Amino acid sequence: MNRIYLQIKDIWDVAGMELSRIFHDGGVVLLFCVATLLYPLIFAFVYKNECVRELPIAVVDDSQSVESRRFAHKLDATPEIIVTFRCNNIEEARVLMQQRLINGIVYFPRDYGTKIAEMQTARACLFCDMSSFLYYRSVLSSTSAVLLDEMQFIEAERYERAGMTGESTQQMVQPIRVDDVKLYVPNGGFTSFLVPALLVLVLQQTLFLGMCVLYGTSRQQRQVKKSIPLRLQRGGLLFRVTFGRAMAYFLIYFPMAIINLILLTRLFNLPHIGNPVHVILFIIPFLLAAIFFCMTICSFVRNRDAGIVVFIFFSIILIFISGAIWPQCNMPRFWLLFSYIFPSTHGINGFIRINSMGATLDQVKFEFLILIIQTIVYFFTASGALHILLRFRIGQQHDVSESLQPQQH
Amino acid sequence: MSSALYRTFRNYMRSAQRELRMVVYHPRYITLLTLGVVFSYVFFLTLMSEGQPEKLPIAVVDQDGSFLSRRLCHELSATQGVEVVAVFDNHLQARDAMQRLRIFAFLEIPKGTYNEVLQFRRPTITIYSNNAYLLGGSFSYKSLATMTKLACGAVQREVLRKKGYDEKTIGGLIQPVELDTHPLANPTVNYQPYILTTVLPGIVGLMLLMLTIMHLQDWVRNPYERLYLCHGDLMASIWGKLLPYTVWFSLMAIIGNLVMFGFCHFPINGSFFTLSVAMVLYLLALQAMGILLVGLIPETHMSICIGAIYGTLAFTLSGFSYPASSMPGGMHAFGYIFPLRHYYLAYVNIAHFGGTTQQILFHIAVLLAFMMAGYIGIALINKRLSRDGVWKQFAEYKSPLTHAAQ
Repeated sequence: MNRIYLQIKDIWDVAGMELSRIFHDGGVVLLFCVATLLYPLIFAFVYKNECVRELPIAVVDDSQSVESRRFAHKLDATPEIIVTFRCNNIEEARVLMQQRLINGIVYFPRDYGTKIAEMQTARACLFCDMSSFLYYRSVLSSTSAVLLDEMQFIEAERYERAGMTGESTQQMVQPIRVDDVKLYVPNGGFTSFLVPALLVLVLQQTLFLGMCVLYGTSRQQRQVKKSIPLRLQRGGLLFRVTFGRAMAYFLIYFPMAIINLILLTRLFNLPHIGNPVHVILFIIPFLLAAIFFCMTICSFVRNRDAGIVVFIFFSIILIFISGAIWPQCNMPRFWLLFSYIFPSTHGINGFIRINSMGATLDQVKFEFLILIIQTIVYFFTASGALHILLRFRIGQQHDVSESLQPQQH
Repeated sequence: MSSALYRTFRNYMRSAQRELRMVVYHPRYITLLTLGVVFSYVFFLTLMSEGQPEKLPIAVVDQDGSFLSRRLCHELSATQGVEVVAVFDNHLQARDAMQRLRIFAFLEIPKGTYNEVLQFRRPTITIYSNNAYLLGGSFSYKSLATMTKLACGAVQREVLRKKGYDEKTIGGLIQPVELDTHPLANPTVNYQPYILTTVLPGIVGLMLLMLTIMHLQDWVRNPYERLYLCHGDLMASIWGKLLPYTVWFSLMAIIGNLVMFGFCHFPINGSFFTLSVAMVLYLLALQAMGILLVGLIPETHMSICIGAIYGTLAFTLSGFSYPASSMPGGMHAFGYIFPLRHYYLAYVNIAHFGGTTQQILFHIAVLLAFMMAGYIGIALINKRLSRDGVWKQFAEYKSPLTHAAQ
C-alpha cells in the first residue's frame, strides 16, 4: 500500500514540477493555451462562407434562340453561378477569363435552337476555369443541374408533340426517379469537411511545438536534469517521470480538447451529430498517444527554433496524409503505413467519423486500438529517450553542485 | 562611377563567398532543409499519383434482387471511378459500413423497382454519398449519378424501340441537349495540378523564409567580421549573405517545376521561362519579407514564431484551395500581403491561359515591390545597429583574419 502511495506521490511530484515549468515559460503557455484556440478561430473565420457562391460566368450565345436564353436564365438562377457577361464571341470571353473576371464560359453554337426545333440533339459547350477545385465543382454541378432540368423540359415537349400527355409524358421522361442524399454535410461545404480535421491536428501540433520550446530551452540552458526530482533520476524509475510529465500535459490538453472538439464545433455550427461521450472517450487515447509521441521526438530537439521548422513542415504533410483530403484507400501502401506512425492520422479519422458522421466508439474501434497501441509504444520510447538524455549527459549541467540544489518538495 | 559599381559588386561577392564557405563547413541546416524539400516533392507526387481517385469503394443496397438491380451493380463495377465492394440487404448495414469508412457512397434500390419500371410507375432509387470526406464523397457521387442517368436512358430507349421509333429519333428524344465540358488546362481533371503547383513552391518558400530569418538573426548578433569584409556596406553584407540561398532554392524550385511540368506532364500553356522568373521573384520577395521581420522583431525566437505563422497562413490565404473571392471581405485583401498569392496568380495566368510576361506584369511588379520591404528591413536593422553602437565599435574593428595574415 505504502509502495503504491509512494509511486503515486512520485508521479504527482513530477507532474507538479512539469506544470510549474510550463507556466513559468510564457511562450509555452501561449502555444498550449492561446494558439490551440486561435488557429481554429482563424480557420473557421477564413472558411466561414463554406461554399463558393455567385461565381461570375460569361454566356456566348451564337444561336440567339428562346432555348438558349432560357438555359442562360436558369443558369443565372442557380446559387453558385451568376451570368455577369454576355459576349459576342468566344474570343471576348477568353480574354475576360484570362483577366480572371469570370470563372466559366457557356457557349451555344449557332444551330442550338434549330437542332432543338428539329428534334435532334443540340450541343452546348462549357469551359471551366480549373485554377481551383471549388470553381470547377461549383460551375459543373450547377450547369449539370440546369442541363438536367432543361433536358426534361424539352423531352416533355417532344413527347407531347408525339401525342403523349400528362402522366404518360412523365413516365417517359423519367422512368426511374433518382433521389440523392448528401449525408453528414448536406451543402458539401468546405469548412465542415476540412476544419474538423484541422481541429484535431492543431491539438497535436501545438503540443509538439510547445514541447519543442520547453525541451529545447532546457537543453540550450543545460538544465535537463534540473527538471526531474533528484530521487527519480536513476534509470529504472524513469517510467514514473515520463508518466508524471504526460499527466501534466494531459491536464492542460484535456480541457483544451474538450473546448476545441466539443464546444467550438457547436459554436461555429460545424458538424456535431456525434455523441460527446464517445468523442471524449476517443480523445483520451489520442491525447496520450500524441503526448508520448511528442515527448519522444522533442527529446532529440537540440534547438527550439529548429523545432518550429519541423513543426510547420510536418503540419502540411500530416493534413494530407491523414486521409481527410485524399482518400486513404487511394494512397500508395507505403504512405499509408507511414501515416500510421502519427497519432494525428487516426485521431483525425476517428474524430470525423464520431463527430461528423455519428459513428459510435465501436465503429471506430480500429482507430481506437491503434491509438492505444501507439500510446503504449510511445510511452516506452519516450522513457527510452529520456534515459538516453540522462545517461549520455546530453544537455546537462557540467556543474554538479547546481544539480544538487534542494528540490522543491 | 564604374569603379563604385565594381566596388559594390565586389562587396556582394565577398559576402556571398564567405557564406558559401560557411555552408561548406557547416552544412547541417541547408542539408536538412534540402532533404525536407526533396521529401515533400517525392511525397506529394507519389501520394496522389492516381491524379483522380479511382475505384472508390461503394456499396449497393439491393432489396430488389432483380435483373435490373444486378445489371446496375455490374455496370457500376465496370466504371473507372467506383468499385462495388459490397451488396447489402438493408439500409442499416450500408450506413454502418459508411460510418466505418468502408464505403464512400451507396445506391439503394428498393423492393419492387424492376416491377414498377415495367408497369411505368416511376420507382425511386436513392444515392447516398458521404460529404464528410469531400473528395471521396463527391467523386463517387459523380460516378453513381452518371450511371443512374444512363440506366434511365436505357429504359427510355428500350420503350421507344418497342414503340417503333428509329434510332436517330430515339437519340433526339432521350437526349435533347448535350453538354460538352472542357476543363481548361486540366483536361483529365487531375487533382495534382490543383494542389501541388502551389503547395510545393509554398513549402520551398517557407523553408527559405525560415532559413533567412535564422541566418539574419545570427548575422545581427555578430555583424563585425561580415561588415568588415564588405567595407561596411550593410546592403551588400546582408543581400550577399542571402544570395547563395536564393540561388540554391531557386534551382530546387525550378527543378521541381521541371519535374512537375516536364516529367509528370502537368499542363502548361505559357512559357516555362516566365514561370521560372516569377518563381525567382517570389523567393526573393520572401527573403525580403524575412529581412523585414528581422528588422521589426529583434528577438530571435519571436521573429521565427511570427515568420512561421506568416508562412503557414500563406497556404490558406493564397486562395488556391479555397478561392479568395469567397473569403470574408477583409481576408480577401489580406491575401495580397503574401508573395505566394502573387506566385499562384501568375502561375494560373501562365499555365492555364498562356499568359505572357506582359499579362503577369502586375504580379511581377508586386513581387518586386516586396523587395522594398527588404530595404525597409535593412533600414530598421541599420537603426538598431546604430542604437547598439555597433558602427562605433566597427570603426575600431580589426578582423582576426587580417591579424593572422599580417
